[in-house]
Amino acid sequence: MGVSESEESSLLLDEKLLRFMEQLELLEEKRATFNSLIEQGWFSMSKARYTMGNKQVSALQYASEIEPLVCVQTRTLDNGEVEFTTEKCTQTCSKESGKDQRAIEDIGPQEEGVRRRNRPKREIAESTSSDKAPAGKRDHNAQQDPLKWFGVLVPQSLKHAQSSFKQVIELSAEIAALQTAVLSARQELKHSLQNKHTPGERLSNSAGQGSRHNTSAESKQEEAEKQLSATDSQ
Amino acid sequence: MAGRGKLIAVIGDEDTCTGFLLGGIGELNKNRKPNFLVVEKETSITEIEETFKSFLARNDIGIILINQFIAEMIRHAIDAHMQSIPAVLEIPSKEHPYDASKDSILRRAKGMFSAEDFR
Repeated sequence: MGVSESEESSLLLDEKLLRFMEQLELLEEKRATFNSLIEQGWFSMSKARYTMGNKQVSALQYASEIEPLVCVQTRTLDNGEVEFTTEKCTQTCSKESGKDQRAIEDIGPQEEGVRRRNRPKREIAESTSSDKAPAGKRDHNAQQDPLKWFGVLVPQSLKHAQSSFKQVIELSAEIAALQTAVLSARQELKHSLQNKHTPGERLSNSAGQGSRHNTSAESKQEEAEKQLSATDSQ
Repeated sequence: MAGRGKLIAVIGDEDTCTGFLLGGIGELNKNRKPNFLVVEKETSITEIEETFKSFLARNDIGIILINQFIAEMIRHAIDAHMQSIPAVLEIPSKEHPYDASKDSILRRAKGMFSAEDFR
């Protein structure tokens, strides 16, 4: 009976260990992608710096008012793992920053083809009033898109840098979730290892094999606890 | 605050901070406290450590990204942090590539595989 029980617990341990290993492997993979993406971002930023000038892409250019466009939602699961998911902030700025970005790209003639010069006055008044409204909005939210801190007409490479850093941010949330999963899997594994060792010793104690055995089992247990705490402190 | 989600904080060199701020994680709150720290040559270790601890204490921060070479300077503070929120992520910097053997989390996970555990 005891043998089958121990076998069962061993199988369970193996399963947990395999899951732990899988998580570690996934973490390593994601780390590699993360590192290559961040390198790409720096490379694009350096290119932008080369184009715009050394001081143009630096901490001095940060706006005086900064609002987050991305945030993370955290959710603690039952097994102790924490889920991190990135999302656009639920403020109006996130929507309008998209408009701003388009505004940068849309510079140039608004109407394609031949322009009608002799228009009736009423029509002209209507069109100018409709143009003014979004312009005012744009001015208000000009600081929302971080790209604008570095100028109105920023090079394409800075936009590339922004997009790779956005990907990096998403990936960082995934890695954070995976890290907590790895740690909780390790904790679980440690507990089940402990449980696997202790019941056997308790059985031998209950068989009444003498007080010497009893004390030795206790000291072993203490030793194991010490080692575990030592690994923790590492 | 719960509906809004948590922030991502950064402690890093200029390029790292600029990049992540471009990505849209930056915030200056009502007390003009930023959620990032640009570490320069003259930034002291105590300043870094204090900022890191203040980020840990803030409940609106979900993830702290920190350059690994800066993490090395305040390793004791990072090792002492055991909670899962905020999660601390060590990231590479331009001059210092990422070294998994230095990562606090991976070292903690590796501690599992000492010979004593499998006796």
